[in-house]
Amino acid sequence: MNTAVEIAGVKFKNPIITASGTFGFGAEYGQFYPLSALGGICTKGLTIKPKQGNPPPRATEVYGGMLNAVGLQNPGVERFLETDDKRLAQEDVVVIANVAGATLDDYIAIGERINDAHAQMVELNISCPNVKEGGMAFGVLPSSVEKVTAAVVKVCKKPVITKLSPNVACIADNARAAEAGGAAAVSLINTLSGMAVDWRTRRPALANNNGGMSGPCVKPVALKMVWDCFNAVGIPIIGLGGIASYTDALEFMICGARAVQVGTANFTSPTAAYDIARDLADHVAQNDIDINDLVGSLVLNG
Amino acid sequence: MKDRSAVVLANERVADGVMKMTLYFEDLPPIEGGQFVHIRVPDGAHVLRRPFCICDFDKKERTIDVCYAVVGAGTARLAEVERMHRLDALLPLGNGYAPKGDRIMLIGGGMGSAVLPAIITAHPDREYTVCLGFGDVSKVVLADELKAKGAKVILATDNGSAGEKGYVADVAARMIRQEKPDEIFCCGPEIIYKILAQKSEIAGIPTKISLEQRMGCGIGACLVCNCKVRRAGVEEYVRVCKDGPVFDITEVAL
Repeated sequence: MNTAVEIAGVKFKNPIITASGTFGFGAEYGQFYPLSALGGICTKGLTIKPKQGNPPPRATEVYGGMLNAVGLQNPGVERFLETDDKRLAQEDVVVIANVAGATLDDYIAIGERINDAHAQMVELNISCPNVKEGGMAFGVLPSSVEKVTAAVVKVCKKPVITKLSPNVACIADNARAAEAGGAAAVSLINTLSGMAVDWRTRRPALANNNGGMSGPCVKPVALKMVWDCFNAVGIPIIGLGGIASYTDALEFMICGARAVQVGTANFTSPTAAYDIARDLADHVAQNDIDINDLVGSLVLNG
Repeated sequence: MKDRSAVVLANERVADGVMKMTLYFEDLPPIEGGQFVHIRVPDGAHVLRRPFCICDFDKKERTIDVCYAVVGAGTARLAEVERMHRLDALLPLGNGYAPKGDRIMLIGGGMGSAVLPAIITAHPDREYTVCLGFGDVSKVVLADELKAKGAKVILATDNGSAGEKGYVADVAARMIRQEKPDEIFCCGPEIIYKILAQKSEIAGIPTKISLEQRMGCGIGACLVCNCKVRRAGVEEYVRVCKDGPVFDITEVAL
């Protein structure tokens, strides 16, 4: 039996990673359980300069999920390197620095700067639907996915994971583009672009009008996209979108994910990621399996 | 910190559209007035917990009271929860309000009044004057409970159907003039803060307010509930759940 997985030479003790933007830099959730119980944690999206984010309301609930438009509020990469990165270096958990930018130069600059981090991997956020410029713009066309990935891979010594947007024509094409750009892995899906409306006030519920939808309601979309990408690329896939239990995690792995990320479920229960890792380990032990054998084992109906 | 499983001892309607829930905890941690509890809605459709101020608590009985308005699908579901059922609850969260002075003015607008009893319970050795304001008599809650705690209670409604007719911020301004309290704490809709901030009566009196915002994690990680404050001339977004919900009225960008 085995729960350990490997992505781009980086070993994860289990395939459970927390999703960017739902977990801060781990300090708050570290009050509930040791972060070492997880395979990895993905940091809040970092930018070269500190970012204020969007005005509130920044989130609203939808049936089976939520919409958010935080707008990448973060303390900036320098502050991260001085504080949270050093703290996380003491934890026995893989740290993935999620990075974002508004221009290609921003991505190159932060990709270079993150070389000095303890964080072992970089996740390229080119699919944030909540910032006015950049972010999402890089994530739509396969040509720009390849371009931004290649530019960061060139300067960054750490394995680069390209995080893919579902709000595109064909996500498998974008996964291929990321692979062509030299990505060590792809993660998907980022949030689905959406809107919630208050019929009384005739206004969108979020100050930003649009937001990114996440939570259990997006899981079927995410599963199909993971399967599509699994059949399109050779690099490992990190699956996410509505994972709230270990059986959800199993479904993503069967569809081709080598590891998974837990996001919105952290809000429903602060111990969600821990519980999923524990339950998955129990499942692996009880059935005496190697979790890696499940990856991409989906059998389609005839 | 841990997620706690609470037993629902009571969940009853106390005013028009307003419920009061009593939750029992096997181990109730120390609570300060103004702190909140983050309650999981017991079904799969609601992925976000609901943050409610801790209305009151009883250390000996290991219970808290939560007073909430039924405004959406989540609170409607919570209103259906039966006695002796369990709910997942995170508490106590946020920075509360601990009075430093002796003579305290508490101001509650509508459901904002629900935060006041716990302040008195946590610090009973102060002299409290409480101004409560509601739309009309059908919405009035907690006036008797606050009187029972020894506070002087002045009740106002917009249409005069209970207490005096008028807006609570105006009534409070008059009482502040009369009583000259050492400190003021106010909780209500944002409009009450805007009006209160304009009142010359609060000049020189430390005034705290409690903010409400839609929340994600409730513990400071997700930055969903942030509000704008002005500190040392610099505007920044801070977390209502972790840096608040209690702020000084002079620092919040109203």
